[in-house]
Amino acid sequence: MTAPVFAIVGHPNKGKSSIVSTLSEDESVAISAVPGTTIDNRRYPMAVDGEVLYELIDTPGFQRARAALEWMHSHAGSAVDRADTVRRFVDEHKDDSRFAAECHLLTPILEGAGILYVVDGSRPFGEDYEAEMEILRWTGQPSLALINMIGDSDYSADWNKALGQYFRIVRIFDAMEADFDRRVQLLLAFGEIREEWREALEKAVRFLREELARRRTLAAHVIAEMLARMITHQRRRRLATGDVMDEIRDTLLNAYKQDIVAMEQRCREEVEQGYNHGHLERHEQRVQLLDDDLFSRETWVLFGLTRRQLIATGALGGAAAGSVIDLAVHGTSLLMGSGLGAVAGGVSAWLTSDRIANIKVLGHPLGGQEVSIGPMRNINFPYVVLGRALLHQHLVEERTHAHRDPLDIDTPGGAWQLTDTATRRRFEKLFSRLRKQETYRTDLVTTLATLIENQIRNRTDDA
Amino acid sequence: MTPSSLLADLIDLSEALDTDHGVDLENRKRRDRNIGRELQHWRNRPVSQIRAWLHELTPSSARKNGLQGVHLYHVLCVVLLAAGLLTGWGLASAVLFYDGKQPINIVNAVVVLVLPQILLLLVWLLAAIPGRLSLFRHLGSTLGFLNPGRLAGHLAGIFTAKENQCLAMLWHPDNGAVLAPAARWLFSFWSQLFAFSFNIGILTSAFFLVSFSDLAFVWSTTLTISNEIFHQLLTTLSAPWAVLVPDAVPSAELVAQSRYYRLDEGSLADTETTPQLAIALGQWWPFLITAVSCYGLLPRLLTLGISWYRFHHHLRKALCNLPGAPELLARMNSPLVSTLAEEPEHAFTIATDRATGKPDATHYAVRCPVIDWSGACDATDDMAAPLAALGIEALKFLRAGGRQTTEQDLELIASLCQGRPEGVCILAKAWEPPMLDLLDFVRGIRQQCGRKKPLIVLLRGGPEGVTAADRETWQLTLGQLGDPDLHVESVSHAT
Repeated sequence: MTAPVFAIVGHPNKGKSSIVSTLSEDESVAISAVPGTTIDNRRYPMAVDGEVLYELIDTPGFQRARAALEWMHSHAGSAVDRADTVRRFVDEHKDDSRFAAECHLLTPILEGAGILYVVDGSRPFGEDYEAEMEILRWTGQPSLALINMIGDSDYSADWNKALGQYFRIVRIFDAMEADFDRRVQLLLAFGEIREEWREALEKAVRFLREELARRRTLAAHVIAEMLARMITHQRRRRLATGDVMDEIRDTLLNAYKQDIVAMEQRCREEVEQGYNHGHLERHEQRVQLLDDDLFSRETWVLFGLTRRQLIATGALGGAAAGSVIDLAVHGTSLLMGSGLGAVAGGVSAWLTSDRIANIKVLGHPLGGQEVSIGPMRNINFPYVVLGRALLHQHLVEERTHAHRDPLDIDTPGGAWQLTDTATRRRFEKLFSRLRKQETYRTDLVTTLATLIENQIRNRTDDA
Repeated sequence: MTPSSLLADLIDLSEALDTDHGVDLENRKRRDRNIGRELQHWRNRPVSQIRAWLHELTPSSARKNGLQGVHLYHVLCVVLLAAGLLTGWGLASAVLFYDGKQPINIVNAVVVLVLPQILLLLVWLLAAIPGRLSLFRHLGSTLGFLNPGRLAGHLAGIFTAKENQCLAMLWHPDNGAVLAPAARWLFSFWSQLFAFSFNIGILTSAFFLVSFSDLAFVWSTTLTISNEIFHQLLTTLSAPWAVLVPDAVPSAELVAQSRYYRLDEGSLADTETTPQLAIALGQWWPFLITAVSCYGLLPRLLTLGISWYRFHHHLRKALCNLPGAPELLARMNSPLVSTLAEEPEHAFTIATDRATGKPDATHYAVRCPVIDWSGACDATDDMAAPLAALGIEALKFLRAGGRQTTEQDLELIASLCQGRPEGVCILAKAWEPPMLDLLDFVRGIRQQCGRKKPLIVLLRGGPEGVTAADRETWQLTLGQLGDPDLHVESVSHAT
C-alpha cells in the first residue's frame, strides 16, 4: 500500500506553510506575509525508520485561478472529462511561467494526493476563492477544507457555508496554537477523506504518541543531568605566590556563575532540539545564584590531603618506620621507636608541608593553598532551576513550529510550583544525596529523571 | 572485557558525548538509529551497544585520552605493587631478624604480621558496606587518607592538565553523581593491590630467610599463661587450615618446648634437650607463613577480587549513565520518527528596496474611474468620502476580477483607456494578498492607458481596518512592477 499524500493548497498567505510547519514540526518552512514566498512544492514525509507513513506537500498558492479555470471550461467536454481536462491543463502549461503556481500545486493532486484546502477564517469569504475551489473539485480527488484562524475576527460560519458546497469535510484548525492532541485529531481527520488511508494515519499517530513520550523522557533526563551537575559542581584554583585572595575568589565566583549559566543553556538547547526547535530564540533572564558568599572555601591541600590529614599520615608513617626499630630490638625499646617515629613524622609533615607543596614536578606544584567554590549548598537553588527548566520544557512542548517570534520564558505566573509534600520530600532526598556526594549510588540521576518525568506527565494530565 | 579497556572506553565516551553535543540532533538521531539497527542483536546489552557505538564513531587512533588514562592506571598499579612488595619485604625482614643471639618471639611476629591485617580487613569491610548508615560513610571518608589507592589517585591528578578528560575524571567532583562509585572501588582496588603485594613481600621475605638462614622461634610472656592455654589459642588461630595443612598447626609439645625465658641471658624451658630443640624451634615457620597466608594474603586476594569486580561493575554502569549516554541508547533503540522536509526550501525572496513608496501628497486631484476589484466594495456610496479625502473624483464605478472573466477584464481596460482618463483607482481588499491575476490587470491598464498617469490602488480593510502588515505586503508586491506612478493608499489612511 502506498502511503497517503496530502497537498496543502489554497490562496497565497492563508497559512498553508504555517499548517505544514506545525504538522511536520519543521521550523525551516519559510513563512512570510509576502504572497508567493513558496514557489515550489516541498515534501514533508512522515517516516518511521525510513518507512513513509504519510506525506505532506506544501504548495505555492493559486495566482491565476480564474484564467486557469477559463481554460479548463473552454477545453472540457462533459463532467466526466473534468479530471482529464485539469491534467491536460497541467501538461500543456508546465513550461508556461504564467501558470507555474497552478501547475505546481495541481501536479501532486493529479498524482493521487488528497487535497487539504486552507483558508483564513479570520477574514471574510470572497468571490475570488470560487475559481480555486472549482478547479480543485474538477480534479475529483478526496478533499478536506481547513479553516485556519490567523487573526482575532471570526468568519468561520460564512466559510463553513461556502466550503461546505465544495468539500465534504471542513475543520477549524489554529496552526499557531494547536497542541499535540489537536494535531493528532487533524491527522486522524485526514483519514476520513479516504478509507484506505486511515490505517497508515492511525499507525503514524501511534508512533507520534510514542515519540512524544520519548521526548518527555529525554527532557527529564537532560534536566536531571543538569541539576546533578549544578549541585555537585565545584571550581578550584591553586593559589600562587602573590595572588590576592579576594580577587581570586571573585574571579572564581564569576567563572562558577558562568558555568551554571552554561549548564542551563546547554540543557535548554538539548530540550529544544528534542522537540525539533533547534533554532529557537529565547528571551530569558539568567539564572541567579541565591547566596554568593556562602560556598567559597579556602583549604590547604597536598596529594588531595588537608594539612591535618597530612600530619596524621606523617605520624602514622613515622610510627610504622619506628616500629621496625622496635621490632629489630625485640621490643626492648618499649615502643619508643614507634612513638618517636610518630612524633617525628607528624612534626616533619607539619614543618615541611609548605615546602613540599611548593615543589614543582613537571611544572605542577605538588600542593598548596586552594580556593574552591561549590558544591551548591543552598537548598532552594535546585527547586528554582527545576522550576525554570520545567516551565521551559512545557513552553517548548506547547509551542507549534509555525511560530517565528522568540520564546518568552519569563512569563509571570508560569513558573512550576511543587505543591505535593510527598513529592517535594522525594526531591529533597535526592538533592540532599547529590549535595553530600554519596558515592555508593549510581542511579541518583536516573531516579531524579523519573521523578521529573512524572512531574511533566502529571502537569500534562492536569492540563 | 577487562577494566582497562572499559576504562579507556569510559574516558573516550565521555569526551565523545561531549563533542557530539555540537552535532545537530536530527543528524545524531539518524546516525545513531542506523548504528542501533546494526546492533539490534545487542538490544538488551547496553554496555556492548555503547562501546560498539564509540568504536564505530571514533577510530582507535583518535582515542588518545582513554589510552593515556589506562596507561596511567597501569603505571599506578605497578607502583603500588612495587611499594607493597618492598614494604612487606622490609617489615618481614625486621620482624624475622635473628642474629643468633635472641630467637624470634612468635608472639611478636603474629602481632605485627597478622593482627594488624585482620584489623585493617575489618576497616575495609566497614568501608565496603554501602554507606547507607551515615556512621560508616563518615568513617570511610575520615579514614580515607589511610588509603594508598586514594593517595595514588590524587598524586596522579596533580599531573593531569585536563582533569575531566583523563583518569582523574573518575574522581572529579562534577562527575560525582555518576562516577563516584567507580572511583571508590578503583581506590579500593589499588589499596588491595598494595595490601596483596605487601603480603607477597612478607611471604617472599619469610621464605628467603627460612631458606637461606636458620631461624629460631620461641614464645615468651610475663603473664601467667600456661602452655596449654597458649596452645589452645594457637589451635584456634590455626583452625582454618588445620585440616588442609596439619603440619602448620603447632603441637602442644612444640609449644611447651619453645617457651622462652630471658632470665640468665635467655634460657629455654627444657635445657636438657636444647640441641635437639634448636632444630625443632625452626619448625614454627609453617605456622607463621600459613597464618600470614590465611589472614593476610588470601583475604586480600578476595578483597582484591571483590574490588576488581565492583570496579568493573561500576565502570559498566557508569558507561550507561554518563551524561548523554541514556539519550544515546534511546536514539539507538527507538524507531526514528521523522517529519521534517528532506530538502531545503527554495523560497522566493522579494526585493524590499523596490516597495512602492509612501505617497508624497495624499491629494491627487484627479477625476478618474474607480474599479472594484473582486468585490472589494459592497456599497459604492460608502467610498465617496474616502475618495474625496484623496482628491479623487469617481467618474464611474466598474467591476473587475472575482466573478468577472479575464476577457471581461480586458474589455473593461480597453473601454476605460479609450476615454483617456486622468488616472485610474482600483479598490482592493487589503486582507487579500495582491496576486498575479491583479498584477496582470494593473499591467494591462498601464500598457493601454499610458504612463505618467496616477494609478492608485486603494486598500479597503475589514473590521480591523488596513493593518500595517497588509499595507506593507501590498507595497512590496506592487513595488515589483517598478512603476513610479503606482500608489498604494488605504481607506483608513485616506480618511
